[in-house]
Amino acid sequence: MTLSRARLARRGALLLAVLLSAGSLWAQTLPRARGFVNDFANVIPSDDERRMEAIISAVRDQTGAEIAVVTVESISPYPTIEDYGIALADEWQVGSEANDDGVILIVTMQEREVRIEVGYGLEGAIPDGKAGAILDDYVLPSLRQGDYGTGLTNGVAVLAQEIADEYGVTLTNVEVPSPAAETGSGSSGLGNLFYLFFLLIFLGGRWFLWPLLFVGRRGFFGGGFGSSGHRSSGFGGGGGSFGGFGGGGFGGGGASRGF
Amino acid sequence: MASSRKWIAPVAIIAIIVLIVIFWFVGQRNALVTLEEQVDAEWSEIDNQLQRRSDLIPNLVATVQGFASQEREVFSDIADARARLAGARSVSETAESYTELQGALSRLLVVVENYPQLRSNENFIRLQDELAGTENRIAVARGRYNDAVRDFNTKIRLFPTSIAANSMGMEQREYFEIPESAREVPRVNFD
Repeated sequence: MTLSRARLARRGALLLAVLLSAGSLWAQTLPRARGFVNDFANVIPSDDERRMEAIISAVRDQTGAEIAVVTVESISPYPTIEDYGIALADEWQVGSEANDDGVILIVTMQEREVRIEVGYGLEGAIPDGKAGAILDDYVLPSLRQGDYGTGLTNGVAVLAQEIADEYGVTLTNVEVPSPAAETGSGSSGLGNLFYLFFLLIFLGGRWFLWPLLFVGRRGFFGGGFGSSGHRSSGFGGGGGSFGGFGGGGFGGGGASRGF
Repeated sequence: MASSRKWIAPVAIIAIIVLIVIFWFVGQRNALVTLEEQVDAEWSEIDNQLQRRSDLIPNLVATVQGFASQEREVFSDIADARARLAGARSVSETAESYTELQGALSRLLVVVENYPQLRSNENFIRLQDELAGTENRIAVARGRYNDAVRDFNTKIRLFPTSIAANSMGMEQREYFEIPESAREVPRVNFD
């Protein structure tokens, strides 16, 4: 009896150590959300911050989708901005729980990187290629000149427009700037065909093709939509009047760039 | 009279203990089934994203071939690795062929560095973004799958749940492990 209890205690301690090292140490280093715009690095002028808050509020009111803007000094101890992005997405759960329609725009100052993190529900509206194009055409030119307010506001405006188009609404009661793509490449007819192609692959991968893989395997419809089961329960609404995000799930979609 | 009353109390206690054990056992079994389902669900997301990446590769290869048709070796490496991934059956086989395909793709992207025209090609940039995004989804799905496997494997080995697990014939599940070198998402430097 004493032997098995000692073994149990030892295994319990091991389990605790594994669990602690696995997630919670990192999770504690993530900031709490203060609002839609979280300028932890203090690089966004307050005008731009208010403009972004207004655009994102309009998007949430009319579609339920949410956009979070985050600037941080460093992503340490996370090795890459992708790791940081998904950890923050899991912690904040941007977007509505029903539709997983959240987007996070992250800028890290030390590493000089920017990322658009796309929630499950918007992966069709904003495929990775389009996320990359938004960064290239609207966000990066200003970021490279050190104008973070303009770059991020342009990014938020374009993302808001994409979300509004996806939901078939016109954003009202808010002034959304319509920035012009600065590279001049824009979206050609060929580019649109490409997006269509990605969309087909995306849908194909998820709905038509992948069930075929499961013939003869365990769990034919085991899930794979992934939005449940890995949400952390602790969720900080932060200070002030911010009520927190809606509970949206993320799977690592989006695009990153250095600047 | 007195002896029959003495007889009731122990029987009632034993009956209650038996009931508690049965309820505990059923609860443990259900918890284990839920954990195992979670492992399967996370695995299907990995599979889904691996398939998506396989679908992207022919187009990436076609785009690169338009600019660098002489780099035949790397194209055939990719085709071979892709075929092996499609034929992989177990978790470790999948992880192995995943690593192999990753290596072939990295070589392709090194080749691409030598073709500035290709690097500035809009379609190539989009394809590269889609590929990087899919790689990242695989990484995320891999992490979640391994978390689910760890939860499950720990639970079925810990006494006294291990009794319930043994009675159901549950075995430890395999982690999706890839070497450190394959964890880096291959990237083209567009600067």
